[in-house]
Amino acid sequence: MHIDLKKEIKESNPGQIGVAILVLMIVLAMLAPVLGRYDPLQQSTTTLLSPSRGHWLGTNHVGQDIWSQLLYGARTSLAVGFSVGVLGLLLSILFGVSTALIGGVYDRVVMRIVDAFIIIPMVIVVILVAAYIKPSLLLLIILLSVLSWPSGARAIRAQTLSLKQSGHISASRAFGAGELYIAWRHILPDLVPILLVEFIYGVRRAVFMEAGLAFLGIGDPMVVSWGTMMHDALRFSYLDVWRWWLVPPGVALSLTIIGLTFISHAAEAVVDPRLRDEAVA
Amino acid sequence: MKAIKNNLVTYGIAFLLILALNFILPRMMPGNPLTAIYGGEAMIAMTPELKAHLIERFALDKPLWEQFGAYFLALLRGDLGFSYYYNAPALKVILGHLPWTLLLVGSSLVLSTVLGIVLGIESGWRRGTKTDRTMLAGLMSLNGFPDFFLGMVLVLIFGVMLRVFPLAGALTPYSGLSGLPLVLDVLKHMVLPVMALTLAHLAGGYLLTRNTMITVLKAPFMLTAKAKGLSEKVLKYRHAGRNSMLPVITMTGIWLGRVVTGALFVELVFAYPGVGQLTYQALLSRDYPVIQGIFLMVAISVLIANFLVDLLYPKIDPRVSHAH
Amino acid sequence: MTPDSEMKPLLEIKDLRVSYGNDMVLDGIDLAISRGETLAIIGESGTGKTTLGMSIMRLTEGKIRGSIIFDGKDLLTLSEDEMRRMRWNRVAMVFQNVSNVLSPVHTVLEQVAEPMVEHRLRNKDEAREKAGELLATVGLPESRFSAYPHQLSGGEQQRVLLAMALSNDPELLILDEPFSSLDVATRSELGNLLRQDNGRRARLVVTHDLDTASKLADRLAVLYGGRIIEIGNTRDVLKNPRHPYTRALIRSYPNMTAVKDLQGIKGRMTRPVSGCPFHPRCTQMIDICRRELPGLVWNQGRAVACHRGGVATILSVKQLSKNFGKVKAVDSVTLHIEAGETLALVGQSGSGKTTLAKMIIGLYQPSRGEVFFDGAKVVSRTKDFYRKVQMIFQNPGESLSHRLSVLESVMEPLEVQGIGTKEERKEKAIRVIGEVELPQTKDFILKYPHHLSGGEMQRVAIARALVLDPVLLIADEPTAFLDASTEAKILKLLLNLQENRGLSMLYITHNIAVARKVSDRIAVMLDGRIIEEGPSNQIVAAPKQAYTRRLLDAAPSLVRFETTAAD
Repeated sequence: MHIDLKKEIKESNPGQIGVAILVLMIVLAMLAPVLGRYDPLQQSTTTLLSPSRGHWLGTNHVGQDIWSQLLYGARTSLAVGFSVGVLGLLLSILFGVSTALIGGVYDRVVMRIVDAFIIIPMVIVVILVAAYIKPSLLLLIILLSVLSWPSGARAIRAQTLSLKQSGHISASRAFGAGELYIAWRHILPDLVPILLVEFIYGVRRAVFMEAGLAFLGIGDPMVVSWGTMMHDALRFSYLDVWRWWLVPPGVALSLTIIGLTFISHAAEAVVDPRLRDEAVA
Repeated sequence: MKAIKNNLVTYGIAFLLILALNFILPRMMPGNPLTAIYGGEAMIAMTPELKAHLIERFALDKPLWEQFGAYFLALLRGDLGFSYYYNAPALKVILGHLPWTLLLVGSSLVLSTVLGIVLGIESGWRRGTKTDRTMLAGLMSLNGFPDFFLGMVLVLIFGVMLRVFPLAGALTPYSGLSGLPLVLDVLKHMVLPVMALTLAHLAGGYLLTRNTMITVLKAPFMLTAKAKGLSEKVLKYRHAGRNSMLPVITMTGIWLGRVVTGALFVELVFAYPGVGQLTYQALLSRDYPVIQGIFLMVAISVLIANFLVDLLYPKIDPRVSHAH
Repeated sequence: MTPDSEMKPLLEIKDLRVSYGNDMVLDGIDLAISRGETLAIIGESGTGKTTLGMSIMRLTEGKIRGSIIFDGKDLLTLSEDEMRRMRWNRVAMVFQNVSNVLSPVHTVLEQVAEPMVEHRLRNKDEAREKAGELLATVGLPESRFSAYPHQLSGGEQQRVLLAMALSNDPELLILDEPFSSLDVATRSELGNLLRQDNGRRARLVVTHDLDTASKLADRLAVLYGGRIIEIGNTRDVLKNPRHPYTRALIRSYPNMTAVKDLQGIKGRMTRPVSGCPFHPRCTQMIDICRRELPGLVWNQGRAVACHRGGVATILSVKQLSKNFGKVKAVDSVTLHIEAGETLALVGQSGSGKTTLAKMIIGLYQPSRGEVFFDGAKVVSRTKDFYRKVQMIFQNPGESLSHRLSVLESVMEPLEVQGIGTKEERKEKAIRVIGEVELPQTKDFILKYPHHLSGGEMQRVAIARALVLDPVLLIADEPTAFLDASTEAKILKLLLNLQENRGLSMLYITHNIAVARKVSDRIAVMLDGRIIEEGPSNQIVAAPKQAYTRRLLDAAPSLVRFETTAAD
């Protein structure tokens, strides 16, 4: 593929917007201690305050500063998102490439398992596990990674299979190159576009899952999460507080996911050039 | 046929995984397996005789594989355990909540798929124009909103601010309605949650259809159809659309899983008395039999739905059923 | 417009120009088709013939200018909606059978019935019934009616495309490569079907295949460089092509009747900036061809677009005679050679053929008669004449001076004519030496003839003849002194040179088998007179004279012209 990944994303309008949003979120997350004025977990007696000079978004039902919570929530979402994205991608690469290159019984068995995983909805499984084991953040990350690698593996395997047939790989074999060498030097570099796409998908899924599960009340109570914020705020929806308590985390969450969607849209065009957004002739 | 055989193996594996997970988890917990299965609070309510009876019934003092046998047999009998919170068999509890969820999930799935296909066809037909780009941007953005947040926004706008639709529940409580007014009441309560679910999952079908349209429109038979002097509508739907729908149908089974999980969240937002609400309650009260039962039912329903889609697909795509 | 058509034509295309971006695919097309007539458009791939069909139906994405008048109405001025109603009802197309030309998710019966229903000609049931009839007519078995396109063979799909095009009984049917990828039997069957079809229907067949055109069409138009360069009755055009391109096309077409070895056309198709689109490849190009576009000139129902009025005659002799005392060596011979063609003069020794050749080249003065070169009578032979006509003699050992090296021999004509500087002459000579497939090394070009083999010597002689870039080459039994395998190679070389340089050739030989392989026309000479003359394939297949028949019988039947190991 002669299409330059970076160029493709840079030149696509949705891509640019997506990157901008994501950068904003990352900056906010990183600057949380600076921009937020309070420890987000510090409870106080000033509960359910409206937005004021001291508390830009007011306080929640146990007196915690909502603005600080919003910023730290970004950290949680992004941290979980990227960790799961990376871990999941590594597992996807491992299984996707190996099944494509090794083939045979190994391929068939692993693919059946992959398909089985894909069919079972992830959230349900996490709910079940969470019912028995109180998940810490780390456990959640591991769990989500284990559940999300199968869909990436399918795509990577497909791409590897088609790369396997290409000419320069046959040539390498003719030089006596081994499987590992071929995988490292020839296949992996050509896989970069689809790896990026699958990574973004993974991050997006994870951000969504983490927030959703927190919303259901499953999650580490010591961790600030947008999902938890929305869960708590919902209980008080009969009051006016929803304006500054419910909406901001929801908007922040949605923006993050939208940003990731836009980036993935631009990245998809690299993998399948037919999809590029051309203007009408 | 071979494809179906392959898939059966997959479904078999999935089924076993589901059963295994359900089985292993409680038995992995430290302490008394009975507590793990029934929850601490239930234990308090049980008499020693009942405990002994249960231990025997589920072979809890026997080796693991015998336990699995007992467990499996119990499942076949429809015995999902007993919910001490609701004081009824878990199966009955779940079945009581199920119809509402089915209502939501069914309507949303159908609506989002059909609407997604139509919008995808129209967008793909006009690819590159302002309408297309707007729809694309719009739907991608819409896709970013988690269904529960979307639900919340809808409630706030239409329920609280505009007061057009009710805020919560599946019916107006204690209204004593029946017949047509009852149906209307149910529908009125359904509008917002279904809208939330539909809008949140619209983009999947839309994007896939649009992408397929882009490829299909370049195919030779589209030129042939145009040469036949067929109207734009016929070209769009009978020729391009019919060919573009196929990948979407394949995905329906998987999307069902997503809509079902979405419904769990949305029910919470709308206090809709379906399985989602039930899950939340069961989590709070550690009602393990119910949680397990829900997991089992949902996972297996999704499995069956996928299987049905596999059976259905060859009827739509002649290239598969009448392969050379 | 055809001047001799009685009724107004159904379709009239006037100055049609179609371009895609900067690429002008059709550059001024004028055509007319009458009801009941079948016109074939012949062109190689990429000449724009498919675009022509598509433009009539307004299905191309290119920019269209000009007018396409169908039954009095200019299709290009219609609104899209009006055009849509025209499509299939009045003008329909049998598409080229590529994969996915039919919708994969509908049965073939549905697809044939569809246009009838959508244009409100019939209701659903009637349409299905009629569709069934049509499919049966084109020979599709009833069991295949409910099949999907991917389940049918190529031949069956083509039938479906044909039935589908006829569904609304259009007045004009356009067929785009209707027989590509079909076997001979199916082609013949479908060809018959088309001929029996509605007599009032006009048909436009677009193809690169001459066989298809000859079987289906009444008239033939040749498309080149986006223009029609020749048009006329199919039989006339194929038998007697006037435009050099048409002639070359027919020559290069593999079919049962041609006997001359397959000859490609010099060069590749490119669009020159100005002048006749064919001029870079033309064997008879003159100056005006570079500058001006030739228009179609009509003459009794046939038209050619060529500044020279079609294939030009490069050499003609009228009643040429030579007497040596009482002996009539050559007796009133009238012959002509057209530009770019090879005429073989066949006769036994003593028939007068060499004498004739020597008269043409000027080594003998004729007793009577005239020689015309390129239209002008040859009175005296100037240097200019020798630049254009060159001769290769029988015995290279004699025709090459043993005192000159290879390089010097080949350079000699350039020196005699005073062309270029010494360096330039040397360079040109070396180039031509390479053209005749001899080594261009210093070692070789400084060799003397007695160090060369027979074949090498003859190649040197050919190089010497070519160095002045002549247009007519007279080869007098050039392989007489060579063995069989060398003979084959020299013949191959001559053919290649003719193709690359666009030479005309007068090939003299006693061997009618060889003549048949290298020539377009054969003239048989006996006792100083031409007793029979005509196209090679005709002479060989159906000789009229007994003598000719004897020659053919006596000819070696196994003539091997494969290239053996390198010289």
